[in-house]
Amino acid sequence: MKTPYDILEVVEQATDAEIKQAYLQKVKQFPPDHYHEQFQQIHQAYETIKDLSSRTKYALFTVPEADFNTLLEHAFNFEQAVSISAEHFDKLLRAGINDKTFKIAASDMTKTL
Amino acid sequence: MSEIIVGIDLGTTNSEVAIVENGQILVITDNGRKILPSFVGIDDQGDILVGETARNQYLVYPERTVKSIKRLMGQDIKVDLAGHGYAPQEISAIILKRLKAIAEQYVKQPVTKAVITVPAYFSDAQRQATREAGEIAGLEVVRMINEPTAAALAYGGTQAEQKRMLVYDLGGGTFDVSVVNVEAGVVEVLSSHGDNHLGGDDFDQQIIEYILDHLNETKGVDARQHSKALARITRAAEHAKFVLSDQPFVQIDEEYLLEHEGAAVHLSLELSRIDYEDMIEDYISATIDAVHIALKGAKLTPVDIDEIVLVGGSTRTPCIRERLFDEFGFEPHSEVDPDLCVAMGAAAQAAMISGQKVDAVLIDVTPYTYGTSALGYLDDQYYPYKFVPIIHKNSALPIRKTEAFSTTHDGQEAVNITVYQGEDPDALNNIKIGEFLVEGLQDVEAGNIITITLALDLNGILQVSALEKATGLAKFITIQNALSRFEYEALDTARHRINKLFGQRDDGSVVHTEPPKTDNPEAVEAHKLIAKAEALFDKTSNEDKEDMIDLIEDIHTCIAEGYSDRLKEATAKLADIIYYLES
Repeated sequence: MKTPYDILEVVEQATDAEIKQAYLQKVKQFPPDHYHEQFQQIHQAYETIKDLSSRTKYALFTVPEADFNTLLEHAFNFEQAVSISAEHFDKLLRAGINDKTFKIAASDMTKTL
Repeated sequence: MSEIIVGIDLGTTNSEVAIVENGQILVITDNGRKILPSFVGIDDQGDILVGETARNQYLVYPERTVKSIKRLMGQDIKVDLAGHGYAPQEISAIILKRLKAIAEQYVKQPVTKAVITVPAYFSDAQRQATREAGEIAGLEVVRMINEPTAAALAYGGTQAEQKRMLVYDLGGGTFDVSVVNVEAGVVEVLSSHGDNHLGGDDFDQQIIEYILDHLNETKGVDARQHSKALARITRAAEHAKFVLSDQPFVQIDEEYLLEHEGAAVHLSLELSRIDYEDMIEDYISATIDAVHIALKGAKLTPVDIDEIVLVGGSTRTPCIRERLFDEFGFEPHSEVDPDLCVAMGAAAQAAMISGQKVDAVLIDVTPYTYGTSALGYLDDQYYPYKFVPIIHKNSALPIRKTEAFSTTHDGQEAVNITVYQGEDPDALNNIKIGEFLVEGLQDVEAGNIITITLALDLNGILQVSALEKATGLAKFITIQNALSRFEYEALDTARHRINKLFGQRDDGSVVHTEPPKTDNPEAVEAHKLIAKAEALFDKTSNEDKEDMIDLIEDIHTCIAEGYSDRLKEATAKLADIIYYLES
């Protein structure tokens, strides 16, 4: 299973700008007009890791083997991290958790027709 | 030579056709004009008129002329044209056929493929109808692209630096707003919103109502009952709107508008821009609200926007620029002609599809949320029609999403799947766009899993499929609004009908029809003169034009009734005016 990083061919430490450039290059290589499947994959990958909030969510909840310590380090190693207060980070985590709880409920319980 | 795909802007008021030639986008002219008015009419001989001539005829024979057909696309109705009922697709096809001919004349080879633009906020049914119109006209619609996106492509396709643009597209009948990111040759729509029944026609209607009220109050006449008078009022209202784009006041004069109780009724009144702006304020406010919804959809605020691009003739209304300036703090752009940039973008996309090297790549989104309904909780109440969104608004196209559902009772043999478009948690408040039954499910207890997949293609057309997980039993449908749906046979019949109108055989060759037989050489001369007069309408002052229209009406009456002397007199007068205009 390819990770979004694999699909966009970026390292996990890549900056927002680098990820975006990689995405734009990939899109030009696989425009939606001619590469329906690849484009959807590329776009989905970009949406998953385009900024800190989405990367955190992805790392926390999509990759089960993610090491929480690495993640924290990852989050605090960013220049922007200076401006992230503990409260803000907490909120970020909660947002992710809440989203996910909804998702689990949705797919596990399968709404009844 | 590579295959030619043309780009077509099929507008409510005006249409254009463009191609890319030697890397340059070119809007093709017809008799020196880039714009083809979206009017269709039938003349006295039963011949079809498209564009300028049909627009001129509208004043004299509104009952034989159709305008703004785009507003009716996707509806299951017939419009009357000289006593025959036509589907909106057929009328649009007539316009497309004319554009096709204009392009063919220029490129000197058959044109069978086109990229046609549609308003971003066009629904599935409206898109289907547009595609059908293309088929009737003998054009394969290889792609439908959204109008604001096409405009962004025309503007931003060549820009190197990163820019966030807001495209504000107010046409004759539709309003769209899109937030677009342009960077490194990728034109990416971030969000889109709009109203598919709001446009310049509504502004005209406000002025028309104002004039009708005025006539009612001052003269005690209801001009609604007089189709010709109403056509003239419509034209006058449209003209007043144009004047008010530049002037603070407009004088609306229409002499001999109609006869009431034996006396002639003249229309004369003044309208100020301030009063006009009051009339349309609610519409403008609705567009500004839509701008904010689009910004929110892109998770941006006005300060994030670098450029505003105005598209559509109605954006010439000065108060729109003022309102946008108030919101964003800078002036909108309109370097590329707001009437032409959509066709230009369509041509750029067409070139890209046909494999010509074009730098820009386009990514567009859906302005609608699509989903189905299921048992669930609404306001803490058990509710059978809870809306379950599957594809969310502003998702990039193409997109395919699957959700799992399960049966509610033991031995359930069938499930009914309804697809809705909208955002309301109560599915019944959304627009139902299709419904189908999955039958022959296996006889098991409740909880049999059915997956539903929605796929939205690059044209914004939805395909739905359902699958019984355990057995692989599958069912597919392409959503076609059952109401507007044209069966293949119907399309074929329509194609024959429209070809016949153009005096063509189905292979496209022209049938040589005998000129209309008439024993009266004066009538033949008079018809030639009328055609000449109508061709001059554009260069003519309103006063002269009215005289000409009156004379033309008189000539028709004389021919029909056989008044020979009066015919000679009227023909001579018309010839005089033409002589005077031409000299």
